[in-house]
Amino acid sequence: MRKVFLALKEIKHEKFRYTLIAIMIMMISYLMFILMGLMLGLANENKAAINSWRTQTVFLNQNANGSLNQSMITSPQLSRKLNRHEALIGQASVVLTRATGGHKDKQNAQLIGLDAQQFIAKKRLQLVAGRQTKNDHEIVVDQGLSTQGYHLGDQVRLNGNGQGFKIVGFVKNAKLSVAPVIYTSLANWRKLRGVNSTVLASGIVADQNVKGSAFPKLSRLTVSQFINKLPGYTAQNNTFTFMIAFLMVISLVIIAVFLYILTMQKMANYAVLRAQGIPARHLVNATLAQAALLMLCGVVGGVIFTWITQLLMPTTVPILMSWPAIGGIGLALIALGMVGALLPVRMILKIDPIAALNN
Amino acid sequence: MTAIKLRNVNKAFGTGLSRVTVLQDVSFSADLGELNLILGPSGSGKSTLLTIIGGLQTPDSGVVLIDGQDLAEQSPKQRDQLRLTTIGFVLQSYNLLPYLNVADQFKLVDRVKKRGNLTPAELSTLLKELGIDQLLDHYPGELSGGQNQRVALARALYANPQIVLADEPTAALDSERVKVVGRLLREMAATHNKAVIVVTHDLRLQEFADHTYQLLDGRLRAE
Repeated sequence: MRKVFLALKEIKHEKFRYTLIAIMIMMISYLMFILMGLMLGLANENKAAINSWRTQTVFLNQNANGSLNQSMITSPQLSRKLNRHEALIGQASVVLTRATGGHKDKQNAQLIGLDAQQFIAKKRLQLVAGRQTKNDHEIVVDQGLSTQGYHLGDQVRLNGNGQGFKIVGFVKNAKLSVAPVIYTSLANWRKLRGVNSTVLASGIVADQNVKGSAFPKLSRLTVSQFINKLPGYTAQNNTFTFMIAFLMVISLVIIAVFLYILTMQKMANYAVLRAQGIPARHLVNATLAQAALLMLCGVVGGVIFTWITQLLMPTTVPILMSWPAIGGIGLALIALGMVGALLPVRMILKIDPIAALNN
Repeated sequence: MTAIKLRNVNKAFGTGLSRVTVLQDVSFSADLGELNLILGPSGSGKSTLLTIIGGLQTPDSGVVLIDGQDLAEQSPKQRDQLRLTTIGFVLQSYNLLPYLNVADQFKLVDRVKKRGNLTPAELSTLLKELGIDQLLDHYPGELSGGQNQRVALARALYANPQIVLADEPTAALDSERVKVVGRLLREMAATHNKAVIVVTHDLRLQEFADHTYQLLDGRLRAE
């Protein structure tokens, strides 16, 4: 309390001025939190399905350049049978249309063909309604489609194919490359992809670390390498990361300038206090405590605004609030604010009390 | 007992043609229990003399002894400590923080100097004597110049310093208040055994002084 005595008294007396500064800090932190939420939301929509499979290792065709979409695995490329930690996945980009009800709307989607006996189909699909596929021409789809008017039992067409598919279940965390995922059998995937039965799948995923020697004719990727190869994923993340980083630097400059001006306005008062023998350390502590209080109020305000925004945001906006990440950015902002507050500290240490007397 | 002793103090500002000698061979001493008045017109070097005694600036030559200690041998931190514990400054600029009310001005002293300040009863008596006991909740911006000056005086005396250095403490006061402040400074010196030095051009304070000096053209002489 000793350190914040002067800081609190001044803030209390100059409510309007300090409220404005706290609001400015709040808006900066709010903007950062929202940007981070959008970055995480978009990133999540790119990779939610992969995360839901709890993948650690991915094997693709050696010529696919790490892209699931470009990869095809044939029987001769497999040197052994898959174990219970490994699963084949077939991937294809499809256009989803309703076969009934006269609806004309189309939806881009990612088709994932699975083997019903392997670990993804058996253990990893998180059903929120309906059931797993049992019969031919059945699909399980991302629960996000239920908010777009799709229901259990609906007949849909994929890529305008004459054959209809029936929605028998909705699953959560089923987004890949920012599109809803449609799970079906590998046989259906082959039909839609137009390949024969020598093509087994697009790739193999394993929920444990598998060495490259397990499938020497395939290319091994860790899950992070695999995700970074998703189309647009790295570029999008880098864009957001740079935006947040630049915003951090700009915030540092703005906050430092504000605190500098504030301190400049108090130099005459501080000079008088120094003339009376009040140690410079006490005044520095008061300045830093004031900066910490302002930063804390601003950042907490930003967190509250972010929380309210999250509640009001439509579900179609890909925003994901990670409270640990918000805490991290908030702490980084406070730390940057304190760095900014160090700028006027040098001036306080060099105050000439004679100036106070001359004034 | 001598609290302040100056021997052949010289101070000049500027160089070459713009060099101005402010203090010339000033020798002076102030004893505990006495009120010393230093009179002089504006620009005569009164404030410079006060800041040299208070350790805020150093003379070009000469010796300044406070309580027997040579200020030139003390570090800036030691001089800060001296001003905090031993010297009370009453400045022309009132030395009040605009965002602290009158009560908080004294609390600030408590926070930086934990021991030796006036007791609540002594403070209450002081505030009543100065006629500012009803102003504790007011901020400096809400007070008149005279009220601010009295609060500043009370604030300096609250730390119970051995030496009080006052720069024009009655500049904003009417004659009645000048008498109150004069009596108070005199009483502070005599009753509480302090060395009080007042630099001023207010002749109304002369009747309360034990010693009066004139500072003219940088030279100090006793009246």
